Amino acid sequence: MQGSKWLFRTHVHDGQLAELIPEYLVKTLGKTKPGIMAVADDYGLGASKGIQAALAKLKVSPAAVASYAPSDKDMSAQLLEIKDKGADSLILFGRPADVTLVIKQMNDLGIKLTTIGNSSIVAQTTLNNLSAAEADGGYAIGGMIPQTSTDAKIMDWSKRVQDKYKVPADNFTVSYYDTVYLLKSIIEKVGCDKAAIRDALAAAKDWKGMLISYQADGQGDLAHTLGIYRNKGKTPELTGPIKESGY
Amino acid sequence: MGQLVVNGLALGSIYALVALGLLLIFNTVQIVNFAQGQLLMLGAFIGISCAVTHELPVAMAWAITMVAMALVGIVFMVLVYFPLRGRPAFLVILTTIAMGIVLENLALIVWGPLPVSLPSPVRGPPVHFAGVVVSMHQIFIFATLAVILLLQFFFLTKTRFGILMQATAQDLHTARLVGIPVNRTIAVAFAFGTVLSGIAGLLVAPIFLAEPTMGGSLGLKGFVVSVIGGFGNLPGAVIGGLFLGLIETFGARYISSNFRDAYAFIVMIAVLVAWPRGLFGEKSSEKV
Repeated sequence: MQGSKWLFRTHVHDGQLAELIPEYLVKTLGKTKPGIMAVADDYGLGASKGIQAALAKLKVSPAAVASYAPSDKDMSAQLLEIKDKGADSLILFGRPADVTLVIKQMNDLGIKLTTIGNSSIVAQTTLNNLSAAEADGGYAIGGMIPQTSTDAKIMDWSKRVQDKYKVPADNFTVSYYDTVYLLKSIIEKVGCDKAAIRDALAAAKDWKGMLISYQADGQGDLAHTLGIYRNKGKTPELTGPIKESGY
Repeated sequence: MGQLVVNGLALGSIYALVALGLLLIFNTVQIVNFAQGQLLMLGAFIGISCAVTHELPVAMAWAITMVAMALVGIVFMVLVYFPLRGRPAFLVILTTIAMGIVLENLALIVWGPLPVSLPSPVRGPPVHFAGVVVSMHQIFIFATLAVILLLQFFFLTKTRFGILMQATAQDLHTARLVGIPVNRTIAVAFAFGTVLSGIAGLLVAPIFLAEPTMGGSLGLKGFVVSVIGGFGNLPGAVIGGLFLGLIETFGARYISSNFRDAYAFIVMIAVLVAWPRGLFGEKSSEKV
């Protein structure tokens, strides 16, 4: 599907994270012996490969590369391997449920490593199941999340999402919500003709969403802003947004 | 190495508890309950509703969960076992699988898809010994398994009702002929077996979180453990559980973490090839 003129992406993609996470860990946090741990499915293993390639570009070799099955509940063996091989940090790529378990088990085993990963580390679902001590200090790079916003409108929207769907709003919720309203605005402008909608999406420029502006590029990607977050206790803080160069 | 042993034994203790519940029912009515894992999940969520949603003390949440699970066990028996009693065993087994799916979907509707943590009933800093970290919850898991084993041994061998249960397990029809209240005995087996699953759920939820789909894998591991130990053999199930926990943990560390779930089935096949009745197999293993 890649390269199809009918395919558009309204959330930052994993390829961006695979580049940015190692870069931030090595260049900003000064870590040079990371362990990599990812969920063993197409999502996690693809990211793990990308992260290893990005580390190689930075001339950094991972201390250990581990994975766990999506149904795995006990990741202690993988964590002990990473610790035994002398890692100074952990790049963690998974979904909120398993990322929660990894962080909990690291804490149980007394393994203290600077941890950085995808937005699961700052997802509300993850934070709800961790203590402040367990969550504290974890870094994440990913799509913009609503929890760090102080805008009353966004805070109210997050609350309404939680009340209606019983699920905390996250970066994906923001993306889906924005996508519906982006399409609505385009359909109002160009009507229901498929080709006209596609052309309008491909020409989208500075369309203001909840947290970011959307702008189409030649690949059909509309989202180009990511956030770097750090958990202070159970509260994620925005260290800074990253905008892709050229936008 | 020591840390892997502790973690493997803690994981194995959970498998052993699931297997004990499974075998208690099997030994009484010769039916493998493939919904045992989903009953574990139900126990975890009842505990969470009490301790997290309604903020009751964790000890009270445990007590309520155990009573609720005993009732669930009896309802399960009435809905699944009694209507199909005397029919081919595979019909009952299929029904238990269907009940597992029903329970999973009910949990999804009631509690939602997100994982939830349950506080451990024991708190305190972990114990450090020769470079090994043992959490208070892990110590609690070992203690719980030991207490349940002792209680079960005492109940089955030293109490009148336990001996009646064993008699029912050996020959249901003769037991009925000599005046043993067979239905009451079966009800106790279902209640107790389900309570054991509930306890396993309460022990799992603080370390692995609870979610509606958590039961499938754990229930299957409980079955594998029962086969490894020799189907029907309670001490065999415990040893099989601990053995599998260690195999999984060491396999994930030294071979590959990608095949963690596969180790259980590889070990089961290897054990069955070498010892077709399992490590401590009894005659009842022929009825599986």
